[in-house]
Amino acid sequence: MNCESVTKLIPLYFYGELPPEEEDRLEQHLDACAPCARLAESQRVLSAALDRREMQPSAALLAECRHDLMRAVYRQGAIVGQAGSPRPIGNRPLAAFAAWLPSLGPWRMPLGASALLALGFVTARLTAPSAAGPFNLATLTPDVISSIRSVQPAHEGSQSGEVQIVLDETRRRVISGQLNDSNIQRLMLAAAHDENNAGVRWESVDLLKSHSDSSPVRELLLNRVAEDPNPGVRLKALDGLKAFTGDPEVRKVLAQVLMHDDYPGVRIAAVDALTAHADDNMVGFLQGVVQKEDNTYVRRRCVKALQDMNASVGTF
Amino acid sequence: MAQDAPGAVGARLSPKLDEASLIRAVQRGDQDAFEQLVRAYDQSVLRLAVNLLRSQEDARDVFQEAFLRVFRSIDSFRFDCSFHTWLYRIVTNICLDYLRKRKVRKEEPAVVDTPEGPLDRMNDFEEEAAHANPERNMWNRQLGQRIEGALGGLTPRERMVFELRHYQGLRLRNIGEILGTSEEAAKNCLFRATQKMRAVLGDFQ
Repeated sequence: MNCESVTKLIPLYFYGELPPEEEDRLEQHLDACAPCARLAESQRVLSAALDRREMQPSAALLAECRHDLMRAVYRQGAIVGQAGSPRPIGNRPLAAFAAWLPSLGPWRMPLGASALLALGFVTARLTAPSAAGPFNLATLTPDVISSIRSVQPAHEGSQSGEVQIVLDETRRRVISGQLNDSNIQRLMLAAAHDENNAGVRWESVDLLKSHSDSSPVRELLLNRVAEDPNPGVRLKALDGLKAFTGDPEVRKVLAQVLMHDDYPGVRIAAVDALTAHADDNMVGFLQGVVQKEDNTYVRRRCVKALQDMNASVGTF
Repeated sequence: MAQDAPGAVGARLSPKLDEASLIRAVQRGDQDAFEQLVRAYDQSVLRLAVNLLRSQEDARDVFQEAFLRVFRSIDSFRFDCSFHTWLYRIVTNICLDYLRKRKVRKEEPAVVDTPEGPLDRMNDFEEEAAHANPERNMWNRQLGQRIEGALGGLTPRERMVFELRHYQGLRLRNIGEILGTSEEAAKNCLFRATQKMRAVLGDFQ
């Protein structure tokens, strides 16, 4: 191994890309050759300088990128599916809502029905441009997406050169309104159950939770915290219930969440919410959770809550 | 320097989740599965784009374009390579396009001179090194400018190989696979890149 070949191998040596035998030979050479040893040292210094240059994207930038991406995916998914056909998601209100309604389960049927009523109402209002009144349509943006269904001569056997092109059109509408408008609220409640889009559910719950004094919204939050498949949505719903931790029904659901949610972050939030409201009946329950809880952090949180209540941690 | 690890990039999926099942779910049109897949890899993709392009705006564009391409073409993924390699082919192709366009346009560097002194346009990012004192700060700034110059002198391909090896900790064999070239060619690229940088940064070391 000579100095010229060592010069070429130093970057590979530094990055651990040499086979063991070659690495041994190179190290022997470096021990015996001062100029090559200096070169190896300069590689190390260069690398340290480059390490200082490394940028870590902020959490905020990552969150923005994720948000923008899921919005773009949602828009794309609504327009073109992978095989060029529409995906079963998206912005075609009646079709999309009809597609997911059957899967909502029996308890949600009244909600689904009201959502469809609301959609019917919205559609009716939109088709009457002069309409004004309780439903505040601050902006209304029709957006027609066309796809060609067929192309054929206009007249069979005719040589006139006239053609007939059949277009399918999907119309998208943007509706804006106040959250306290009951029609808007009903649409949002329906959107919070959109099984195909966790992002829409999360955003809907996030917006609705500021209206948790409304009974349908509270029912929604209780349902989402217990049943939403996405832990982010469950956490957001739990956040919206914090003002109601004294309500027995809310406490019952939160206790179930603490016992059964498979995501420790949600269980921790449930402990915090339950213990924010002083309740001596919690002692036995929390002692039971401490016995069965696998997660150290959740267990510690329960232990601390018991200690704060001057209760013993174990059961006797 | 990023540590070597087979799963250093992405692969933050819980072991319980089978990536192949997730990909198949995405292929069936499941958007939740797509979101999970994105989350397993998106931090490393964004870090690569930010470090390569040194621009938040460009990094955001690359992020979106790359994952949208994944979304649109996931049907064509046939499991004949790892998903990571397939994704990185997409990401590196987009980044290389950006770098090539910059070479043509001679886009402004990350550190620019202003009447108030040199300004690092990347200061919004969380720097790993803390700047202890003004003297050190000045030295770091000058070094930063010199490093940007050195990296700017690399070809887009050299830059990419260097970035993937030094910062992302990928093995050269994997880098070759991602870039559609041989391990030997990736080695040569890395060697040329370090030679060029040593030449530019020589008196700073």
